[in-house]
Amino acid sequence: MSPRDLVGFAFAAVLQNRRRSALSLLGVVIGVVAVLSLTAIGEGALRYVTNQFASLGSSIINVSPGKNETTGGMPHGIGGVPNDLTLRDAMVLERRIPSVRAAIPVSISTETVSFRERARRAPIVGATREFERLQRLDLAMGSFLPESEIDRGAAVVVLGHKVARELFDEANPLGNAIRIGSWRMRVIGVLQERGQQLGLDVDEVAFIPVASGMRMANKSSVSRIMLELWPRSDQDRVIERVKELLIERHDEEDFTCVSQDAVLESLSSILGILTLVVAGIASISLAVAGIGIMNVMLVSVSERRDEVGLLKALGASRRQILTIFLLEAALLSSAGGLLGLVVGTALVYVGNLTYPAVDIVAPLWAVGAVVALSLGVGIVFGVLPAWRASRLDPVAALQGN
Amino acid sequence: MARRRVDFTDLMRLSSGALVGHPLRSALSMLGIAIGVAAVIMLTSLGEGTRKYMVSQFSEFGTNVLSIQPGKRKTSGVPNAFRGTQQKLTIDDAEALGRVPMFETVTPSALGQARVEGGGRGRSVFVHGVTADFPDVMKFTVRQGSFIPPGDPRRGGSVAVLGPQLKRELFGDANALGEFVRIAGSRLRVIGVMEPKGQVLGMDIDDAAYIPVATAMRIFNLEELQEINVVFRHEGQTEEAIEVVREILIDRHRGEEDFTIISQTEMLAVFGRVMDVVTFGVAVIAAISLLVGSIGIFTMMWISVGERVSEIGLMRAVGATARQIQIVFLTEAILLTMMGGLSGLLVGLVATVAIRIGIPGFPAGAPIEYVAAALGVSAVAGLLSGVGPARRAAELEPVEALRTE
Repeated sequence: MSPRDLVGFAFAAVLQNRRRSALSLLGVVIGVVAVLSLTAIGEGALRYVTNQFASLGSSIINVSPGKNETTGGMPHGIGGVPNDLTLRDAMVLERRIPSVRAAIPVSISTETVSFRERARRAPIVGATREFERLQRLDLAMGSFLPESEIDRGAAVVVLGHKVARELFDEANPLGNAIRIGSWRMRVIGVLQERGQQLGLDVDEVAFIPVASGMRMANKSSVSRIMLELWPRSDQDRVIERVKELLIERHDEEDFTCVSQDAVLESLSSILGILTLVVAGIASISLAVAGIGIMNVMLVSVSERRDEVGLLKALGASRRQILTIFLLEAALLSSAGGLLGLVVGTALVYVGNLTYPAVDIVAPLWAVGAVVALSLGVGIVFGVLPAWRASRLDPVAALQGN
Repeated sequence: MARRRVDFTDLMRLSSGALVGHPLRSALSMLGIAIGVAAVIMLTSLGEGTRKYMVSQFSEFGTNVLSIQPGKRKTSGVPNAFRGTQQKLTIDDAEALGRVPMFETVTPSALGQARVEGGGRGRSVFVHGVTADFPDVMKFTVRQGSFIPPGDPRRGGSVAVLGPQLKRELFGDANALGEFVRIAGSRLRVIGVMEPKGQVLGMDIDDAAYIPVATAMRIFNLEELQEINVVFRHEGQTEEAIEVVREILIDRHRGEEDFTIISQTEMLAVFGRVMDVVTFGVAVIAAISLLVGSIGIFTMMWISVGERVSEIGLMRAVGATARQIQIVFLTEAILLTMMGGLSGLLVGLVATVAIRIGIPGFPAGAPIEYVAAALGVSAVAGLLSGVGPARRAAELEPVEALRTE
């Protein structure tokens, strides 16, 4: 028998029992679609997070008060430490480490912001002029915080889009004095609408000079110092230098340095593990589909006993019989895999149309794995029936029934 | 020709006969369902185990504890990084709350992080500034010496109590009582060592130092408390207790609600909701394999009807009604799925027990509603996958059916 005959034979078998073939295909299709769409969702989440970080561009190192042994995640700066993280610390880091383009001390508090009759509570972020560049903020009108001595807090404020709208409606906020807590601050800028960013929704925030922020919260310590590095700086070296300088100033390591990359890495690995677990659970259904295929193949073998007997009598080797039935199983499952790929891709496409913000894409490894899996399922679960067929005794098989 | 009534036993014999006649085929069909059911049960028991574990962690303190923290948050019991307040949470606030009869204990606490030096070694740990009642709230006890003495919380003596792990790290097996430790530049005398307790809500309370709250505020130069813990007398008075705390503090803070009250019950509720969603999601994903399994059964039933056309014709000829034929095939399908479901249940439960033995202290256990759902779904799957083939069998013309072959 030529290979062409073998393939033709397998094809014919699949096509002869259309309904049966379609049903056993269906199981594989469902499994493949499940795995594909779930990994696509996981991958989408991963890309979203990565983009959020990448949109910040330059590499950033966060220094916060308090020692946090765990890596990754934002240290919350729980509790007091013997030494505060001060504006002076920020100045020293900026001056003494050449790779640091800017050291931006940040203070965070929540206050009531009011203008005439209207009031709302908003996060108040104390920062410096460089914060605009670091976070890629775009101004709708006016300007960002002024260039001034870091420890001089001017009474000015830049409003996030939503805060500005809630306090002023359509009126022009620039030049008006608003009240933050019990302080009067003049509005010098309004930000463009941006929407949710990781960790901080800038539309809801009011920005003021860091020294004013610290006075307002009556704190001597900043919430964190963000170090903006020049491109291609060696982050690990910088972190080492930061530690040396601050330990020298504080006499102990009572602060935590985390690079943006470390945070991203730990987030990515968590998301990656989640995706794998979910995909693994979904692959159980592929195994079940394989069992279905095996069952159908077993039936197919017992139905075609006389056919097999005839083939053997005509001189087909055991090996060829095995190949025929394995091919049939592989055909079934890989057709299911391909069909599942088509349906899954369509689903992913629909998902992307529905949620344009998240880039839902089935990762290449998943596509490859699914195709390989479905083919593998057919071959693995096809082995037993094929082996049974190849073992048939031609005489008995022809006599059968 | 006399029509003989085909009775129930005949039908049963016919249904089970088909199952036994193709043992491998039946076993495989069952296996498909069994895998799905086992997966659902195992995964949900993992989810449920996680939830129960957390609940036991929380309720160790009893559910009659409130935690008050500075700063108003919109979040539901999950602290975030946006801390900022106008009014501070002070020891005076704690004292004011302490005067309410329904509150059993009120403990102010301030938290710091510092290197604790003693016995020639040093270790960076959390330093809790607390009062004498703190061990009662946290449900842990002193092993040696005594805890911080009761008295005016505004006056902190220079004393420290060490967690067992910190004590071991600094002093090894030597006696630590009466020795001095240095925390952030202050010399404090060790007056007690705690019993080991381990992790509580992710905080290692054994690797920590405990000092009077006023001392902590002085050496860390804190102006406000980290939190105030209130234990009220009767469980189930959570709502009232929250209301009382809120009134007193708003009154003291010039009408501003600039603090957050977190109750154990609320924390538990939030966590429980999250776990429910996770468990449900995982169960649904696992249930996809149940669907695939029932498609497999449908296929097999379809084939089986095709194979047994002549048998069906014969049955009809000897007086079985179309309805009876339908029942025969439905029964077969339901038998298949139920047996698959039950064996899956067995495997799932064995796996759950194995998890319990493998991870002692982890209360894995499939929630009964999921077990019931998995079995229910497999029964329904049997019905649905049986209906089509059964109808096909019933609609066969007896004469035609006999003529095949």
